[in-house]
Amino acid sequence: MFPSSTQKRHWMFRDDAELTNLRNAANKNYVEKFKDLLSDSAREVMLNADEERFLLRHYELQMRDLCRKFSPPMPRPVIGTAFHYFKRFYLNNSVMDYHPKEILVTCVYLACKVEEFNVSIIQFVANIKGDREKAAEIILNNELLLMEQIGYQLTIHNPFRPIEGFLLDIKVRSNLKNAEKLRGGIEELLDRLFLTDAYLLYSPSQIALAAILHSASKNQENLDSYVTQTLLASDARDKLSDLIEAVRKIRSFCKNMDTPPRDVVKQLEKRLELCRNEENNPDSQV
Amino acid sequence: MEDQVCPRCRTTKYRNPSLKLLVNVCGHSLCESCVELLFLKGSGSCPECQIPLRRSNFRVQLFEDPAVEKEVDIRKKVLRDYNKKQEDFSSLSAYNDYLEEIEDIIYNLVNGIDVLETNRRIEQYKRENREAILKNRVKIGRFESELDEMLEMEKAAEDKRREEVKREEAEAKRKRARAKEALIDELMFSEGNAKSIVESFATTQAVEESGRGEAADFSTGIRIGKTHDYYAGGAPLEELAPLYKYEPPEIETDGPRAPEWAEAPPGGPATVEHIRKETDEETAGGFRMAEACLRAIREAVAGLYYSSKEKSSQLQQPQQ
Repeated sequence: MFPSSTQKRHWMFRDDAELTNLRNAANKNYVEKFKDLLSDSAREVMLNADEERFLLRHYELQMRDLCRKFSPPMPRPVIGTAFHYFKRFYLNNSVMDYHPKEILVTCVYLACKVEEFNVSIIQFVANIKGDREKAAEIILNNELLLMEQIGYQLTIHNPFRPIEGFLLDIKVRSNLKNAEKLRGGIEELLDRLFLTDAYLLYSPSQIALAAILHSASKNQENLDSYVTQTLLASDARDKLSDLIEAVRKIRSFCKNMDTPPRDVVKQLEKRLELCRNEENNPDSQV
Repeated sequence: MEDQVCPRCRTTKYRNPSLKLLVNVCGHSLCESCVELLFLKGSGSCPECQIPLRRSNFRVQLFEDPAVEKEVDIRKKVLRDYNKKQEDFSSLSAYNDYLEEIEDIIYNLVNGIDVLETNRRIEQYKRENREAILKNRVKIGRFESELDEMLEMEKAAEDKRREEVKREEAEAKRKRARAKEALIDELMFSEGNAKSIVESFATTQAVEESGRGEAADFSTGIRIGKTHDYYAGGAPLEELAPLYKYEPPEIETDGPRAPEWAEAPPGGPATVEHIRKETDEETAGGFRMAEACLRAIREAVAGLYYSSKEKSSQLQQPQQ
């Protein structure tokens, strides 16, 4: 259960500012450490924290595509878990230290294992473009690193089961006629939330409830009476305002979403190649 | 043990099932009949190594490999003199050195390395430590006699208990016979209804039987609770530990109350129509759809009241 999980204890944060601080610290840490080790030209092109975030957004989109096109088809909790791992990893690490394209596949591979979606490494790399043998090697090499960086806290509470619980409860205890038609809207919101930090700020059940309410309002349905009278019942007075606020914030997360333009990403990637930590680059001579 | 064979007369266990191999201090085995033949006079020499041996020193070979037998023998002899305990040494390393020395001596004797030198070492040790050796021997002797005494006592207690059980049984038998006689007498001479008399006797019988307490015996004669006495030496009695009591786990929800198991929604008629029914294969494995429902609903409410404001701003970083 979420309230007693490591997810709540170690991986839920106060607000956006705290996340930003952590990421800035990771960036600064790398810059400090490699300032003197890199050549002059490389030092000039080092990424700042904002540019790192920009790149990460690009790779999160790539991760989503990889998961969607994965064969055999991947259950959704695997995708959710992979995103969690990816976000957790780059909270404390710089993009320049570990290349996101390598961490990304490792996250997905580890998520497959943790969520009991059984694929062998050979099956897995069949979904990846390029040199498969090298990819397999990279994934297996990075797996332990990834686990170490996320503190071996592998259990992820995804919002998918809470969604099922809510839908079941809605079918039984509310007067909504056709609850199944909400699913489309729910999935759309959850997918978009994966690209945001909502999962590091709100509990999975809050996200689930937000997704359901979002979908209900899109379908011109009203679940307010279910939430206030049935779900919260006696607690409604003290807790309702907090919950409404949380739901509102979660829904607002996916409004400001922009896909990074290709040319900017290209340019950032080029710079990344120059200033990345060569010790963690499988192609380098170091 | 299949190919036990006397090295002298080549008799095998197969040809002579009663074949018994004996072994002497030199570590070479001989069968019983060969020993009788060769050592008629009470002493002779080993046919293999020509060492003079006494007939009285022959023992039954316990181990398949006579070399092991020889080592055990030598060890016993050496340890009779080298009988110091750890308490006799000032430090652990001194004791370890002492043990090492013993092993050296035994190894030398077994493999015939510097036998003379080694024997001289033993003699010297004996001379130097005569008093300590004697003292320790007495100590060990006392310890052994104590052990014997304890075994003796245990045996006596066992006998006594067996006796008691026997007596109780006889008593019960007698009682039953008496009761039966009384019943027949009553049936013969009383005016009352035969059926009611039989019934009332049956109940008194039952009361008496149960009054005797729990049965002390299985039908096979194995005593219940016998282990008790075996470990009387001081092992803790397991029966005395408090019994395990189930306490339902407390689930921290941090959210509104979830519908409970017994209530209508999960598993109730209202929910069932919304979920796929479990197949026979799944129920065989102990799976119930209601449990999955309950889990989903519980997870839906868990953490619904989560608020990041409660968290202290200083968060633990994952251990790096």
